[in-house]
Amino acid sequence: MAAMRSEFPQVPTTGRALPAFLIVGWRWISRNPAVSITPILLPFIFLYFLSLISPPSLLPLEIVGAMLFTMQNIGSWVLGDSATWRIECSLQDMFVASPLGRIRYLFGIAFSNLIAMLPALAILTALLAWAGARQGTPLTAFGFLVLVACLGVLWVLFSSIGIGISSRVRTQREIWPVGNLTFTILGMLSPLYYPLSALPPLWQDVARFLPTTYAALLVQGALGITPASATQMIFYALLLMTCAAVGVVITLRLYRWGEG
Amino acid sequence: MRTSDLPPSTRAFRGLSAFLWTEVLVQAHEELAMATSMLVQGVLLVFVYILAPALLGVALVGAILYSTFTMGSRVLNEAAYVRIDHKANDLYLAGPMSPEAYFLGMAGGILVVYLTPVIILGILTMVVVHLTLLQGLLILALAATVWVFSASVGYIFSTFFRDNRAIWAYSSLFFNVFGVLPPVFYPFALFPAALRPVALLMPPSAAAAIAQASLGITQLTAGELSLAVGGLAVETTLLFLFAIYWARRTVRGD
Repeated sequence: MAAMRSEFPQVPTTGRALPAFLIVGWRWISRNPAVSITPILLPFIFLYFLSLISPPSLLPLEIVGAMLFTMQNIGSWVLGDSATWRIECSLQDMFVASPLGRIRYLFGIAFSNLIAMLPALAILTALLAWAGARQGTPLTAFGFLVLVACLGVLWVLFSSIGIGISSRVRTQREIWPVGNLTFTILGMLSPLYYPLSALPPLWQDVARFLPTTYAALLVQGALGITPASATQMIFYALLLMTCAAVGVVITLRLYRWGEG
Repeated sequence: MRTSDLPPSTRAFRGLSAFLWTEVLVQAHEELAMATSMLVQGVLLVFVYILAPALLGVALVGAILYSTFTMGSRVLNEAAYVRIDHKANDLYLAGPMSPEAYFLGMAGGILVVYLTPVIILGILTMVVVHLTLLQGLLILALAATVWVFSASVGYIFSTFFRDNRAIWAYSSLFFNVFGVLPPVFYPFALFPAALRPVALLMPPSAAAAIAQASLGITQLTAGELSLAVGGLAVETTLLFLFAIYWARRTVRGD
């Protein structure tokens, strides 16, 4: 970097990476509207199906599940973008050669994909407020804050998982299946769309190793959908943070930036 | 060979079996894509298993029909990938292979490889629903009809894409909206009454309604049954013929 500064003194070595990635995210969805409609519609398609086959009292829980699942799926999008830019566009070399570090690159891609998910999350929040009021579990300020915090943790965790996996994908044909399989299976193993207690015992044990489980239990507790004491909620929050920290450390070690 | 030595026209369906087996070999190496093809069905079956186990039989029959429906999505992806990324379709079609053999060979190859999960679903359905031979044959015929429809849709749609990156979004949108929202995985009676004729005009839900009626899960009036059978047959035939026409036309570059 010092050599670059001395050789090219006019080239800026600092800049606004996040706004740049915001524009990338916005341009992508504005040119391909279906890209933003698909993640909005998929949770709604699942919710519609669930509303037909499950008791109405579960609707707030299912909406929370749809929000967490949507946020988790950002990982798949980050994986797709990062791998496409590296494999098809050969852009990663340019990013590596630039002053942009790998963490800012990760947050940049995660941020640009968050833009595409925001409409879905906004609609689901409104739906949660409506369904919660009808089912006696209103969306309180505390519940909303816990929800936003959990979504934030999942955003960082699954984006880093996505980018970590993306650096190991070798061909473009692997991108879509790898992303879809990884994030859908992780989402289905966690009790997002159903109460943890409804799962068979072995499945419950497996789910307890997944961070999304604690995000779901924490939000369900905060909104009063699934009763939880203050101590239990602190416990869920600690487990969520621990699982997320372990997940981020593992995936960042897996992540190949300049050497691969 | 000089250009003047080339045959003046290609025989219809020439090269079909050769390209079908080529496609089987290509698709057989796509284990990940094969696993992904079962994701939505898997998710919905998990939902039903946990939240409404009494509907598992309906959902399994729906999963068979949906699986053949989503093979159209594979045809779309493959046809677009070969054309946009590899630019290999020009090479294939410059040879003696006919355009319709290219389309049908690709669709057939995908069918052969992606049949395995459908067979597993069929076995599970037989265990849960206890199908008679006639019911089993009817579901097979319905699944085959849905496959012809979706493969035709997939091939036609694939010719409109110019960028590989946008395909999955549109493909996922189309196949999920038409395969999951209408009553394919759940009983026809749960669908809003006013919209039932619309569902009977959509091939996947029409096939599911006929299958559910044969299993005694759903009661269809004579008019509804005629609409489902007639709609499925007419739409599939017309779309298949159009796909053959479109395959020939896009090769000519008209």
